[in-house]
Amino acid sequence: MTKRTLKSGLAALCLGLFLVSAGPAGSVETLHRVWAIKDCRLVSPGGALVAKATILVRDGLIEAVGPSVAIPADAEVIDGSKLTAHPGLIDALGQSLLKLPEEKFDTAKFYSGEFTDKDRGITPELKAFDYVVLGKSTLEKYHKAGLLAAQAIPQKGIFTGQGSFFSLSSEDKNKALVIKDTWLGLSYSPSSFSVYPNSLMGVVALFRQEFADVEYFSMTTARWKKDLKGVSRADFNGRYDALADYAAGRKPVVFLCNNQHDIRRTLELAAELKLDYVICDLGSEAQFLIPELRKAKARILCTVGFKAPSTSVRAQLGKTEKEKAEKELYPKNPAKLAEAGIPFAFSSLGTDDPKSFLEGIQKAIDAGLARDKALEALTITPASFLGLDKALGTIEPGKIANLVLVDGDPLAKEPKVAMVFADGRKFEFKDTKGKEGEKPTVNVSGRWELTIPDAGLKMNADLSQEEAALSGKLTTPFGVFDFTGGSVSGNEIYFEMNISVGGQDIDLYFSATVTGDTMRGNVVQGTQGSSEFTAKRNPS
Amino acid sequence: MKKNVLIIAVAGLFLAAGTGLFGAAPVEKKLLLKNGHILPVSGEPFDGDILIVGARIAKLGQDLPVTPDTEVVDLQGQWVMPGIIDSHSHIAVEGNVNEGGDLMTPEVDVLDVINPEDINIYYALTGGVTCVHTMHGSANPIGGRGIVLKLKWGASADDMIVRQAPRTSKWALGENPKQSNADGMGKARYPKTRMGVEASIREIFEQAKDYMKRWEAYDRKAAAAKGKKDAVLPLPPKKDYRLESVADILRGKYWVRCHAYQSEEMASIIRLCKEYGVKLVSFEHGLEGYRITNELVENHVAVSTFEDFWAYKWEAYNTMPQSAALMVKRGVLVALNSDDAERMRRLFFDAAKAVRFGGLTELEALKTITINPAIILGIDKFTGTLEAGKDADIAVFSRHPLDPYSVCQMTLVDGKVYFDRAKYLEDRQKAEEAKKKAAEAPKPKDKKD
Repeated sequence: MTKRTLKSGLAALCLGLFLVSAGPAGSVETLHRVWAIKDCRLVSPGGALVAKATILVRDGLIEAVGPSVAIPADAEVIDGSKLTAHPGLIDALGQSLLKLPEEKFDTAKFYSGEFTDKDRGITPELKAFDYVVLGKSTLEKYHKAGLLAAQAIPQKGIFTGQGSFFSLSSEDKNKALVIKDTWLGLSYSPSSFSVYPNSLMGVVALFRQEFADVEYFSMTTARWKKDLKGVSRADFNGRYDALADYAAGRKPVVFLCNNQHDIRRTLELAAELKLDYVICDLGSEAQFLIPELRKAKARILCTVGFKAPSTSVRAQLGKTEKEKAEKELYPKNPAKLAEAGIPFAFSSLGTDDPKSFLEGIQKAIDAGLARDKALEALTITPASFLGLDKALGTIEPGKIANLVLVDGDPLAKEPKVAMVFADGRKFEFKDTKGKEGEKPTVNVSGRWELTIPDAGLKMNADLSQEEAALSGKLTTPFGVFDFTGGSVSGNEIYFEMNISVGGQDIDLYFSATVTGDTMRGNVVQGTQGSSEFTAKRNPS
Repeated sequence: MKKNVLIIAVAGLFLAAGTGLFGAAPVEKKLLLKNGHILPVSGEPFDGDILIVGARIAKLGQDLPVTPDTEVVDLQGQWVMPGIIDSHSHIAVEGNVNEGGDLMTPEVDVLDVINPEDINIYYALTGGVTCVHTMHGSANPIGGRGIVLKLKWGASADDMIVRQAPRTSKWALGENPKQSNADGMGKARYPKTRMGVEASIREIFEQAKDYMKRWEAYDRKAAAAKGKKDAVLPLPPKKDYRLESVADILRGKYWVRCHAYQSEEMASIIRLCKEYGVKLVSFEHGLEGYRITNELVENHVAVSTFEDFWAYKWEAYNTMPQSAALMVKRGVLVALNSDDAERMRRLFFDAAKAVRFGGLTELEALKTITINPAIILGIDKFTGTLEAGKDADIAVFSRHPLDPYSVCQMTLVDGKVYFDRAKYLEDRQKAEEAKKKAAEAPKPKDKKD
């Protein structure tokens, strides 16, 4: 009981924050923490399809599910009779949540030869968690695709860095976090500078030496701790310290494999170095190594970009052969793995955004992957790869309430996601193009002088209205920013944008009521709260 | 341990002989190449047949008997020679062939980065090449390790790698490790002179010797502490793959293939290798080798060279098309190599030039692209000539392979046909016709239900 109270308390806290950040368009979250989704169709991996079920969500978890769940008095009831529920989709490995700082390369290094480990691509201490940004628009993009959890990992270099796994329920990454330092990324990508290693064979040699060094470091450190007397202690080394758990096989590494040869190398190297590993198949060529993968009991992450690797003989035979293979052969990769019973999950690496990720998965389905296998590879399989199969991946009591409610087929070419629950928080989608039936009664096109008294700011806003759609730009002391969305409904207007101030991204949501050449309303600044603003149209 | 090794070896023998230890003997495919002009290289040319059983040559002779289970290919008087062996190549290597990041990189290994999908493997087959030594580049005094491949196009890297071949270590002297041709960007890397290159090799030899000593001392202490109560085990030295590789070179585990052009630096490195007991097998290119034939012969150092390719940089000026032939005549073991995916397809043509310009006999010339590279690679016991019991690595040519109008017609590796020009042309024609048909055919109308 105390546990629950504590949880509710925490939930109330984040809701307080959330209320402020919720704009009037896009996904909307509400206060309530108990939901009953009544009479929905239920699709969950490993279970039979249930035609009519009720899902009870309480304080972030699924409390009950089934055809005859009693609805408690404190539950807000959602009519699910037209909806299909499936577990929140999981992106097993991606990097679009990451915003790594752009760094200018110092060309003086070419002459001094003073390259850093970072230039060499050796950054195992780099943690995705420190660089993940869960902006409102990002969450919305993921939610709209039904993606409610994702692992982010840095992709650059050889030891690329450590991943982080999030349930996409909050803009506050401390709340959204599920596992902080998950997998370590390893990639066969040598540096292009004149540093060691700058060849593929050098990368393989580096893996061997580096893991041997870590083992030595762990051994000498443990030896000193065991007997403080008579043994001199080893120097501390942050890099080896970061690698210790991975080198000892206590945590998994993920090899980012560009082609089938990288996969073959990985099978040999991981066995040689005794690593716990997952293979990310960036080249979609795992299909050519089925017996080897089966023998090694390998876990695969399938990407869905379906581009032929340059090493492939199909790529070497010219453009026609290459394109043919990319259309016919490579999209078959997930289906081939499913047929052979090789466990695989989907990774968004190699695609641009959640939308193109789902389009890629659709290509795999068109190429013969069974829909239920596709759903497994997006839910229970990635959950189990991350050691979270008890918490995620199916709709079962006690699990995290990550649910997608779709109007129609959940894996249709363009699924109509009606609402999602992430960590038991409801997000609904509203049309950003204004409420239907309410025709604009004003035209706000023109230049407006916009004042935010709290911030002491006066700015120019250039608005352009076409029926209910509103676009424009805001000229601020920090730069000029285009609206990312806007609408007019009756005499009310709404527009939003993302501005960057001092390296920080802030989402701004403006809503106001228009009277002739003046408007008055509110601007919500990300999670910082809201302020009033007024604006006057400049006479043209 | 030793017993197990023996059992495995015996089992290997049985398997190789096709009997098998358990169950029925596997049925091996029989292939008869009939009516050829045969150039065995190991003996006199003759007109006749070659019987291949499984992966090996079973018999050579005239009118070999045909059993019903034998597939027969009538060569109709075409020319047959041992599969060509290229002892210096960089094909089928994925990524950069040079690990140029550090001065010494003996720990990097081509074995880790074989790309069996490299189309150059197929192109090489079209020129009768059946076997290549693919290796690290020449950016470092001691570069990475090389590997011998049989060109089984379509097979996996594992199936192509010739495990019986001794492992090689690629070295380089002269302009390349000096980085004289580097584009000016970047910090100058030691060494910048020829004497520096040799000194750098000596320096890492000494480091490796010291490393070996540290391990020996540790092993002694560990052995002494074993079984004793309260004995504090010594801390082992840190494993260093680089020095370990150099130590293996010093132990003679790797056959050294040393890229060099100039006679004086070749002579000097021969002395260095002698001093440290390193197995220096051959100089790569060795364009001035004809100047030091006595030293080469005396120290059993071969030369893997070009027939008529020189003057592409100043250290490659002092040679001539007679160079290879001069060395052969003085008793040096010489192989003609490609160092290039394109030249690889016409090594038989380079051998012909050695006859034309250098006055080699046909047999001497053929040896430079077959048995000589096989000896340099340590694989002469099972390939390089057409002899009963050897691997069926065979190239068939339309005319004598040293005839300038000769074309390679068929290439077999381990008894299997990997290239057949007639079949290739037929397939290509079919594909072109199908493409033409598809373009001409009226587009099918949409079906209406």
